[in-house]
Amino acid sequence: MQFGIFTVGDVTVDPTNGREPTEAERIKAMVAIALKAEEVGLDVFATGEHHNPPFVPSSPTTMLGYIAARTERLLLSTATTLITTNDPVKIAEDYAMLQHLADGRVDLMMGRGNTGPVYPWFGQDIRNGIPLAIENYDLLRRLWREDVVDWKGRFRTPLQSFTSTPRPLDGVPPFVWHGSIRSPEIAELAAYYGDGFFANHIFWPAEHTQRMVGLYRQRFAHYGHGSADQAIVGLGGQVFMRRNSQDAVREFRPYFDNAPVYGHGPSLEEFTSQTPLTVGSPQQVIDKTLGFRDYVGDYQRQLFLVDHAGLPLKTVLEQLDLLGEEVVPVLRKEFESLRPAHVPAAPTHASLRAAAEQANAAEQSGADAVTGAEDRR
Amino acid sequence: MTVRTLAVVSAGLSQPSSTRLLADQLAAATRDELVGRGEQVELHPVDLREHAHDIVNHLLTGFPSEALRQVLDQVTGADGLIAVTPIFNASYSGLFKSFFDLVDADAVGGRPVLIGATGGTARHSLALEHAVRPMFTYLRAVVLPTAVFAAPEDWSGGTAEGALRSRIGRAARELAEQVHRAAPSRGPADPFALTTDFEQLLRGGEG
Repeated sequence: MQFGIFTVGDVTVDPTNGREPTEAERIKAMVAIALKAEEVGLDVFATGEHHNPPFVPSSPTTMLGYIAARTERLLLSTATTLITTNDPVKIAEDYAMLQHLADGRVDLMMGRGNTGPVYPWFGQDIRNGIPLAIENYDLLRRLWREDVVDWKGRFRTPLQSFTSTPRPLDGVPPFVWHGSIRSPEIAELAAYYGDGFFANHIFWPAEHTQRMVGLYRQRFAHYGHGSADQAIVGLGGQVFMRRNSQDAVREFRPYFDNAPVYGHGPSLEEFTSQTPLTVGSPQQVIDKTLGFRDYVGDYQRQLFLVDHAGLPLKTVLEQLDLLGEEVVPVLRKEFESLRPAHVPAAPTHASLRAAAEQANAAEQSGADAVTGAEDRR
Repeated sequence: MTVRTLAVVSAGLSQPSSTRLLADQLAAATRDELVGRGEQVELHPVDLREHAHDIVNHLLTGFPSEALRQVLDQVTGADGLIAVTPIFNASYSGLFKSFFDLVDADAVGGRPVLIGATGGTARHSLALEHAVRPMFTYLRAVVLPTAVFAAPEDWSGGTAEGALRSRIGRAARELAEQVHRAAPSRGPADPFALTTDFEQLLRGGEG
């Protein structure tokens, strides 16, 4: 199972001292957080993509490319890549390039974006959110899988004899997750292609996530990619830890009370009982996270949100220390011991390349059996 | 025989509340009319005051608390709805509107709704027509012709045989008739139900 962090990349005032980081500070903080994630033994760093203040990460592959150069093992991902307003041609190119630079340590999570005014800045219309996601993603897949593409659709100028370069590393496109909060259509899209499904999970009751993941698993099996429990599921989580749980609550409360998403609404206590947010000791985080499996089944990727609501970098890095030293090693061991053998791990470049080679070999031997051919293509 | 459910939403703020009193009278009269038509009736009274914090929290976080979710399910799953608000500053109260802002646009479509209001002066009475009725029309509910407004003079004249009582009776008959005629509610809509499949989505259909 993969563990990591995902960041929205918001610039938020620290409510305890009124200090607002500059964009430069926030961008460098995101990089520091990614490097720390590798240092403490996490597997994945995923950045958001936004094109409006107060968010800084408008150019994910620039940031991920930089992080790729400074890390060895960390898998670089997104949360999410805007499949609606980005040109799928540019996504195909940018992430194939990143794949080469990062030696395959790349996957993506597709999302639609829910801010209406952003769409027209990129020539689109939020009312077409789902159709855009469907059409653009279908094209993106073809650009990565077919060397020469002729294409005509509803939202983009047609393509004639187009080759997206560079071609994906080893001919293996990056693995794709689809992120969604409550759109059954996106669970359906992920299931149709046999891609991963990432439930945002945070900010929402467990019941939502359970229903969405259940739908995805059922449709994954329907489309013949395997049994429902073999579908590739990722979850978000949101934690704040101190060794003593009361210290965690006391320190986090002002950040919670003023957080952009839920601030000035429910109490910290209400929200932690209604959503996956865990504020407490590492052991409490372990217990709550292990409990996710009870309602989504065995899953492949757990990403934590740790750097939001104006928390200072120093505090975030301390959170990563606790995750890496105390939480994730236990979770790894526990989840692994619970996972049945037929439930796969999350795909990586290496596993996808091996699968592609195996498929090619099988196809070849099948062809040989039929034709008796000796030559190799 | 099926049991018909009536959700009775009251946005009164004081305790006791004349808004709740009007809602109760409308509910009792409708129940009697339905029983007279051979129906069994279950009333689900909802005092929005009890859910005021949860309503604001839902507006801010995007999801209901468990208690509020049950209330929303009761309202959107009922066979008929009685909705009564105090009139503040010439319109429904903010709490009443905030609650119905949490109801999906399709969730009460085709459902019969009896609207009522209370106010400090009879000059507020048309707020039912210019504010409350259009909101439910937007939600594609079937808003009954008789809307019931209770002014202070309606309460001061006693409750037995006044003009208010006859309006309540007429409105209750209209609601009971609609509920009696309609097929039983199939319960609240499932927001996670998949209404399309991928082939259809790929062809440009949105389900």
